[in-house]
Amino acid sequence: MSITVVLFWFLTALALLSAIMVLLSKNPVHSVLWLIVVFFAISGHYILLNAQFLAIVNLIVYAGAIMVLFLFVIMLMNLNAETEPQKNTWLKLAGAISGGSLLLILVSVIRSATDMTGRTAQVGEGNIGLISNLGKALFSEYVVPFEISSVLFLSAMVGAVVIGKKD
Amino acid sequence: MTLLAFDWILLIEKFVLIAIIVSVSLVIAMYETYAERKVAAFLQDRPGPNRAGPFGMLQPLADGLKLFMKEEIIPNTSNKFLFILGPCLAMLTAMMTCAVIPWGSHLELFGRHIDLQIADINIGILYVFGVVSMGVYGIMIGGWASNNKFSLIAALRGASQVISYELAMGLSLIALLMLTGSLSLRTIVDQQMAPGHLWNIVYQPLGFLIFLVCAFAECNRTPFDLPEAENELNFGYHQEYSSMKLGFYLFAEYINMFISSVIMATLFFGGYDIPFLDESTLNPNVAALLGGAALFLKVVFFIFLFMWVRWTVPRFRYDQLMDLGWKKLIPLALANMVVTGAVILWLKK
Amino acid sequence: MNAIILSAILGVIMMFSGIWVNNKATLRWIALAGLLVLLISNIAEMYGYRIWNVNVHNMLYFDRFGLLFNSVAIGSTFIFVALSGSDINRVGKYAAEYYTLIFFVLTGITIISVYTSLLMLFLGIEIMSIPLYILTGSDKRNLKSNEASLKYFLMGAFSTGLMLMGITLIYGATGSFSIEVLNNPAIAQGVSFLEITGMLFLLVSMAFKVSAAPFHFWTPDVYDGAPGVFTSFMATVVKAAAFIAFVKLFDARMSYSSAVVDWKMLLCILIIATLLIGNITAVFQQSVKRMLAYSSIAQAGFMLFAVFSMNEMAKEGIIFYAVSYSLATIGVFAVLLKMKDFTFEGYNGLAKSQPVLAFANTVFLLSLAGIPLTAGFFAKYFMLASVIQTGHYLWMVIVAVLFAAVSVYYYFRVIQAMYFKTGEGETENIHPGFKTGLIILTVIIILLGVAPNLIINFLYF
Repeated sequence: MSITVVLFWFLTALALLSAIMVLLSKNPVHSVLWLIVVFFAISGHYILLNAQFLAIVNLIVYAGAIMVLFLFVIMLMNLNAETEPQKNTWLKLAGAISGGSLLLILVSVIRSATDMTGRTAQVGEGNIGLISNLGKALFSEYVVPFEISSVLFLSAMVGAVVIGKKD
Repeated sequence: MTLLAFDWILLIEKFVLIAIIVSVSLVIAMYETYAERKVAAFLQDRPGPNRAGPFGMLQPLADGLKLFMKEEIIPNTSNKFLFILGPCLAMLTAMMTCAVIPWGSHLELFGRHIDLQIADINIGILYVFGVVSMGVYGIMIGGWASNNKFSLIAALRGASQVISYELAMGLSLIALLMLTGSLSLRTIVDQQMAPGHLWNIVYQPLGFLIFLVCAFAECNRTPFDLPEAENELNFGYHQEYSSMKLGFYLFAEYINMFISSVIMATLFFGGYDIPFLDESTLNPNVAALLGGAALFLKVVFFIFLFMWVRWTVPRFRYDQLMDLGWKKLIPLALANMVVTGAVILWLKK
Repeated sequence: MNAIILSAILGVIMMFSGIWVNNKATLRWIALAGLLVLLISNIAEMYGYRIWNVNVHNMLYFDRFGLLFNSVAIGSTFIFVALSGSDINRVGKYAAEYYTLIFFVLTGITIISVYTSLLMLFLGIEIMSIPLYILTGSDKRNLKSNEASLKYFLMGAFSTGLMLMGITLIYGATGSFSIEVLNNPAIAQGVSFLEITGMLFLLVSMAFKVSAAPFHFWTPDVYDGAPGVFTSFMATVVKAAAFIAFVKLFDARMSYSSAVVDWKMLLCILIIATLLIGNITAVFQQSVKRMLAYSSIAQAGFMLFAVFSMNEMAKEGIIFYAVSYSLATIGVFAVLLKMKDFTFEGYNGLAKSQPVLAFANTVFLLSLAGIPLTAGFFAKYFMLASVIQTGHYLWMVIVAVLFAAVSVYYYFRVIQAMYFKTGEGETENIHPGFKTGLIILTVIIILLGVAPNLIINFLYF
């Protein structure tokens, strides 16, 4: 057990646990806070894969910006454990069973799949996640999707203005 | 057992460094409160604190003692865990930024080469941004957990201010990063120290100006101190806090001020560079100490600037604040970015 | 590439013209001119004239099939704006922005018809969907429109999430985003479970986008709640584009049988469920708009046959189906939007008050039902013939024909109301230009119903 393996298992357990807590928390604010913990754990995984840029951008964009907006909305609407609608128990059960069977199948498939064995992630090496390499890939091989995504953002912005403006 | 097989001495070295940096920042934050009151007094032509010790030098200690001795109140209807987490997060994020700042070049002690920086990661500036954007949570969680309408509104006001100005701040830095070609703070300082290179402020005056304004807003300092406007907006997100938890929020603000001064000095004013002096001719230890002192002097100037502005400029109204951020600073920063890019392209050809 | 770049630029032009042009009618003319330019540039590209020479790094491949579909989509949008432009202008204050969003949707469509990389598929689908969420909710005072927009957005985001998950798994299995690798027979027949799971996720999300049962639940509410003009656009051009993406994605899965998953059987279930739910539910609707929403599900069932049989005939057929279905539906909606009352009763006696509208509407409905001498007949013929060509699954053809007979019932209810029931048949003021437009559209549909090669020949010459 090297230190990276210990870290890997710790982060994995943390990510899964807090993801479950996102679902189980009665209070929406707590859910959001747990979700932030998930993002931290995933960023930790990125660092283990030597992708520092991805790790920090994941934090800045998701934990630092999007989740703040989530909190804004939840706090302004004053959602708390009491206003949380009570869902039908049968519905919950049905959801848990169908989701659980999907999980079971996926896990069993991945365990038995021949194309998974011998393909473990290389931890702590490789340098594709470093900012200079990522930048080069983004502006050479992936330049078309990179530029086209600007249309996506532009349309989202136009849409936000159309929806948000007072009539 | 290979579990703990790594450089123990490096670990100890880093721990000592962290301890020194954290305690230095705390002491500086303490004396910032003193300096603030002295500067305010000076600008308003009155003596200021002068009872505790010579020139009132022991005043921060007295203040600290007072905060510790106050009754600690946690409102009944608040969310206890989050109520305590709020100030902790504010303090934590304020302290974490120190990790990537180069405080000096390096020392050579006991035959070891000791960098005066906790971690030189190749995304230094982004790390700072990441931590700063986490700082919002201290405000929001504290304001929400108090279960008080005024706290909540103030928290939302504060958070929206911070995330609005973060954008302009990031954009103003992109132009600088185009020049340096690196995100590591140490590389940026080394570039400014290299012979024939001037400080970045010469190449990026507009970028610096935008960064400065945004830094004021990020630290919730006047003229952008709406989140904690005591008189007209019924105090701020820390309305329900008392004792040392209130102290943590106030302290975190002073630490933020210190850190943003350090970052401005590092990015635009050469960091630990001493102007008109070639450091490589000196003994490395002497050079490191002198460099640290130079950085410290620059930082003191910026802290003074923060206070100077606070006691000179009146507060913005909320709509003016948003107007300045979104409609003036962001377009300006974008224009700065485009012009810088064009000039670099032109010079390279 | 012409159409992709030009449509994005035209979108920006529309956005800025909103600042300087206050007259909505002028905006419509600008949009029409833009669409015409777009159409011409795309047809020029079909014959090898490229305005921009972009190195696309094998992410896009401009074949005849994709480019022809682009022309069809742009042409249908042109007809749509020409017929229903005044209704777009009536939806709300931001006409310029609506046209902008329509151009951005076209950017997305022109990407997903020529993509060869899953990255581009994702981007194209998103560029196509996000403006639609906005257009659905553009009638801000109407609660139903708001509800539809939110529903569409949440469901769409969820299905996009599934798609991304699928793409991730496929990337993990093959190490590539390229659909050439994905459609490689060795991989298509192989037993890479990661890749199969990924394809299943993609199948679900694509089925969602084309509103195939059992992933159709969003469709009736969204189509009913959205402003009628935008429903018309969503149900035609956009849906057809999603089918083109579907066909390109599952090419090899249908052509080679895999040892592990019977993809054809999966698709069989989808098709039968879609035909059943679409047709049967449409029979019980009281509102024509909602009936058209269900009928669009039923039509999706027919279009799925192209994915199912996946031979040359299917590829010809899907383009022809896209043309005939889009044109007819745009026409039906154009008439619907002029009605004061959207229920079947609202159409009572339309033949007396507005004979031209009633006649054109009859032709469109006949085409949707697949009656001979209209374009819809050959569309359905191509689909079913392509299944027969595969040599198996004849029972599917029989089932499809039965459901086509059911569809005749609810399409004819409208015709019956127009011609054989007495009533006012109240409409808005009809502009003579609108009538001319409808007549031209009717002529096109009948022309295609007589000579379908007019479109299909473009695939080869």
